[in-house]
Amino acid sequence: MKHACREISQLASDSLDRPLSLFERLKFNIHLAMCKHCRNYSHNMKFIRKITEMIDTTNYGEIRLSDEQRQRLHERLDKSTE
Amino acid sequence: MHKADDPHTWLTEHGDYLYRFAMSRLHNEELAADMLQETLLAGWKGYDKFAGQSSLRTWLVGILKHKIIDHIRREIRGRNLTEAVENDPTSAYFNANGSWSEAPRAWKENPEELFSNAQFNATLKSCINKLPEKQQLVFRMREISGEESETVCKTCDITSTHLHVLLHRARHALRICLNTNWFGRGASS
Repeated sequence: MKHACREISQLASDSLDRPLSLFERLKFNIHLAMCKHCRNYSHNMKFIRKITEMIDTTNYGEIRLSDEQRQRLHERLDKSTE
Repeated sequence: MHKADDPHTWLTEHGDYLYRFAMSRLHNEELAADMLQETLLAGWKGYDKFAGQSSLRTWLVGILKHKIIDHIRREIRGRNLTEAVENDPTSAYFNANGSWSEAPRAWKENPEELFSNAQFNATLKSCINKLPEKQQLVFRMREISGEESETVCKTCDITSTHLHVLLHRARHALRICLNTNWFGRGASS
């Protein structure tokens, strides 16, 4: 039982990337039912998935092309579209 | 002057948006600008293929996505992306018998609310930027770009087992970083 936490931590992450096998699901769910630490960990993993999923272009609102970059891009486009 | 198929107009109208998109995935200014240029040129050359079913911006984003994947594929071909299975950075958090040596803290905050906090957002981004190169690459592809695991494996030429190890290490490191820089601030477990 105790030995399992380390293995369970990997499964907590894996479950976000692949379907767990029936055996893995059983092991995972039974362990979580008994282990608060792994429940927290698994929740942390899902939490990280949720907040990183929300990162999109709008969250980089402060990032924009500098005037210099923009100028250079216009020049390079001129050259390539001549 | 204001022709629909003029890449200069696209740069003016969609440049910042596309640049941000590239930056969120590549985190490299020069590279992001290169990808933007390639995208505008490819769009210009292939404009007759633009059916007008989606917005021009959506169409350009589609091209940019491909450019980024292509770049990653080219860039890492021949580079050793495997990360030793030994030296597992997560192992420090377990006792020899595999139980937790440091109990994971519960995060009780609401993710949506937290995410709208600019300070937290900055912390999250800085934590992602601190991830080791390989972990960061696959993590950005999988979580920020939302690519399927299979696509990430193919692009990076790694096995799925290896991908899962890298993603777990990345999430684990993010967890520690967020605990230290955000959740740990005066909160109890």
